[in-house]
Amino acid sequence: MELVLVNLIDGLVTGLLLFMLSAGLTLIFSMMGVLNFAHASFYMLGAYFAYQISIALGFWMGLLIAPIIVGVLGAGVERYGLRRVHQYGHVPELIFTFGLALLIEEVVQFLWGKNQMAYNIPEILNFTAFAIAGNSIPAYKIFMIFISIAIFIGLLYVLTRTRVGMIIQAALNYPKTVEALGHNVPLIFMGVFGVGTALAGVAGVIAGPVLGTFPGMAFVLGSIVFVTIVIGGLGSLWGALVASLLIGWITTFAKSYNIAMSDILNGIGIATPENLDDSIWRDLWTVTSPQIADILPYILMVLILIFRPYGLLGNRDA
Amino acid sequence: MSDKAKTNASPMRAGSMSLTLTPWIVAALLLMVLPFIFNNNSSITIMNQMWITVIFALAYNMLLGQGGMLSFGHAVYMGMGGFLCMHVMNYVEDFGLALPLPLLPLFGGLFGMGCAMLIGAISTSGAGTRFAMISLGIGELVAACSVIIVAFFGGEEGISGDRTYGLPFFGIEFLKQIEVYYLISFWLMLSAALMYLFSRTPVGRMANAVRDNPERAQFLGYSSRWVRFYSFMASGFFCGIAGGLFAINYEILTEENLNTASSGIILLVTFLGGVGFFFGPIIGAIAFTLLQTVLSLETELWAFYAGALFLATVMYFPGGLAGLIMMHVPSYRFGNANKLFVPYIKTLIPGLITVLGSAALVEMIFHYRHGSVGDNEMTLFWITFDSHALVPWIVVSVITGVAFYITKTTAPALKEAWGDANTPPTSGGAS
Amino acid sequence: MTAALELSGLTKSFGKAEIIRGVDLSIGKGERHAIIGPNGAGKSTLFNLITGRFAQTAGKISLHGSDLAGLEPYQINRMGLSRSFQITNIFPAMTVFENVRCSLLWSMGYKYSFWNLVASSKKLTDGADEILEQINLTERRNLPAGVLSYAEQRALEIGITIAGGADVIMLDEPTAGMSHSETDYIVDLIRKVTENKTLIMVEHDMGVVFGLADYISVLVYGEIIATGRPEEVRGNPKVQEAYLGEALEAEH
Repeated sequence: MELVLVNLIDGLVTGLLLFMLSAGLTLIFSMMGVLNFAHASFYMLGAYFAYQISIALGFWMGLLIAPIIVGVLGAGVERYGLRRVHQYGHVPELIFTFGLALLIEEVVQFLWGKNQMAYNIPEILNFTAFAIAGNSIPAYKIFMIFISIAIFIGLLYVLTRTRVGMIIQAALNYPKTVEALGHNVPLIFMGVFGVGTALAGVAGVIAGPVLGTFPGMAFVLGSIVFVTIVIGGLGSLWGALVASLLIGWITTFAKSYNIAMSDILNGIGIATPENLDDSIWRDLWTVTSPQIADILPYILMVLILIFRPYGLLGNRDA
Repeated sequence: MSDKAKTNASPMRAGSMSLTLTPWIVAALLLMVLPFIFNNNSSITIMNQMWITVIFALAYNMLLGQGGMLSFGHAVYMGMGGFLCMHVMNYVEDFGLALPLPLLPLFGGLFGMGCAMLIGAISTSGAGTRFAMISLGIGELVAACSVIIVAFFGGEEGISGDRTYGLPFFGIEFLKQIEVYYLISFWLMLSAALMYLFSRTPVGRMANAVRDNPERAQFLGYSSRWVRFYSFMASGFFCGIAGGLFAINYEILTEENLNTASSGIILLVTFLGGVGFFFGPIIGAIAFTLLQTVLSLETELWAFYAGALFLATVMYFPGGLAGLIMMHVPSYRFGNANKLFVPYIKTLIPGLITVLGSAALVEMIFHYRHGSVGDNEMTLFWITFDSHALVPWIVVSVITGVAFYITKTTAPALKEAWGDANTPPTSGGAS
Repeated sequence: MTAALELSGLTKSFGKAEIIRGVDLSIGKGERHAIIGPNGAGKSTLFNLITGRFAQTAGKISLHGSDLAGLEPYQINRMGLSRSFQITNIFPAMTVFENVRCSLLWSMGYKYSFWNLVASSKKLTDGADEILEQINLTERRNLPAGVLSYAEQRALEIGITIAGGADVIMLDEPTAGMSHSETDYIVDLIRKVTENKTLIMVEHDMGVVFGLADYISVLVYGEIIATGRPEEVRGNPKVQEAYLGEALEAEH
């Protein structure tokens, strides 16, 4: 029972982190109709900038400033890059963001090298908050949960209760109409892109110390974020939340409970073959849930795309 | 514009019907002759890699350029074809069957096609984002499975084999690189020819139609979904052939051949070359392989340059290198190509110097930041200097700055010359 | 005699909004039938239902006696029904010649073959050139279809629609956005190419409708309020009240 609680918390942390990344991505998608392949790259930049700032000014300054820098960069990318490529169609847009992801990874390597950076949890938070059945829960994880929830509530509030939020929602669906009403839609787009990437940056700032700050970090997380928004439904913020939490919990539980395929197969009545090493199915028999934990989201995504192509909470026009 | 000019308006575009043999004959001759010009082993290895990449890129373009389908997980089909071929090689070796090596890629092709049929059955109902996402998901899935399913994929070490296993094929044992080169060249010509002809068949033409307007194509009696499916199958076949040749050439296949990074690279290669023309991917594959092999010897930052080049391509010339070349066809046909010669020299040469200068600065920054302590010497363009001294920095910055300035000032003249060269000559007796 | 196209009790609702409310219509072979009605009456929806773009909520559609329920557009097309689109829907990147040639592929039995080359079939080439002659675009043969003028593109659209040899041709506002002379030209073209075929068209231009159609049906708010020969429809008071009144005024 206690193990379940620990996994719930761990899964929550992963899920909320994933949500911060996927929220921005799904918003950007519903705005431009294009999947920003470089989204995870902004996450990486957030971590690296925060690291660099924290050396001089401390972790908290990094948390404050780094996302702003990332957001500004993101807005710049939209204004000078994406907007230009937009005229060529969807496929070039996708390819552009893909190339951008590549370039950012190279630039990061160029500036900081290939090794992991010593970006650490701030001293204030570096203690054990409490323990459940011998498993210690670091205070930092609680901090991560709180920040993520705070951001989600903030986002929800801005989008649904403020005037700016209304205009943004309208512009996301009917840009031409909103423009005809006198709003500066290109500015809105730039802003949404900037905020979306800033969100990714925040995720980077707080995840960097825990998941490691290294040039491959964007790549590692990149495709999972796409999977998340596809499962949740492209363009749906609630879908992104549900999918993120789902994936967070599925992967955490799969990793912590060592369920072996052989047990399942035996359970439904198929006996283990005599000479396992010679059998060509040996891998199937020896696979355990931690091994496939990371690919479960992909399996889920493919299933969703087959049976429910608009995602769990997506709408038809996505 | 006169009638003659109108009817001759279409150059060797993806839509042109002229089946001229000349380019093919020239290509075949070049393939045969090149190893004699570049006859050291490393050049031949590079060329082998180039030709394999060309087949893969052409197969990829069957989907991207011809079909309008963007796939992010295409390395799967090449990898699967390759892995199967490795297994076949080992199997034949163990059981002493008489399978001549040249036929091996065929197995790869068929297996690649089989995989494409399976996956295409679910992915081809749409062409846009859904298709791209499924391809990404499947790509990641297969790459991840390849580490788990050790029986087929060999786990961390991959699967290796020996291509000299069987009976000699007309006396050739394929021990030497040059023999493999000719085998690859043969398959290259065959595959390229088949892929080109495919685009001229009914299903190939409808693939173009479905790309441009899937709804309209339905009202021509064609199911857009089936047309995409067949294109996908055909693409998978040729990817598998490329995989088989890879297996023969390198004698080892690993998870790397299947993963998203490889899929990303082929996308880059194809797009760089130009998706709108049949020969685009060929140029892209050649250019990229050269970048990858030759440039990587000169600098650690070659991937950075590749990324920057790719981005520049998307932003400024999305037609790719082929598009750039074909842009000059109208002026050539009007007989005005010579008008561009001088402006090009005036603008492109300073432009080139600007790029090289910027690259030099980048290299210097990199060396300054990451060079080992005490190792201050670096070599650029055959000049050795101290990267920590001020003088080289000033020199390079000034050269770059001046070149940039010249480029900017001569650019308008080039623009004017371009417009001039592309104006059709006023014909006295227009119809 | 089996009607070429028969609609019985056809209904279509999008959620709560009932767009087509029980349409009964029978169009005979070789007829030239125009469907007119004010904007928003549901004409495009009717077209989309018949051509299989979306499924009906209730009712039946039969083509030459065969039920079209559940069929995909391409299947319906193969049964002999072809349509044009209100917003020009050609293949802009391919040449004019290739646009037409692609329309011939299926009807000439090529299906999904990858073992013959389209360029080597004289039948295809001649067939396509013939159609180009009919729609008067031979001069533009090798230009990318995207650079054609609007009227030329509409003519090409019609060419693509009839090329496959379908015997029921549905044209969606073929003269939309055209000048008088262009309209006359297109009307002549339509008359020429739809000889011996069944023609169903949606039109707003009353001149075209009365000049071309054998029968007219008037669709208002998803219902057919009148159907019959042009003179009958013209004189029908319900129609005059709902629709033609203003248009007739405008014509004089």
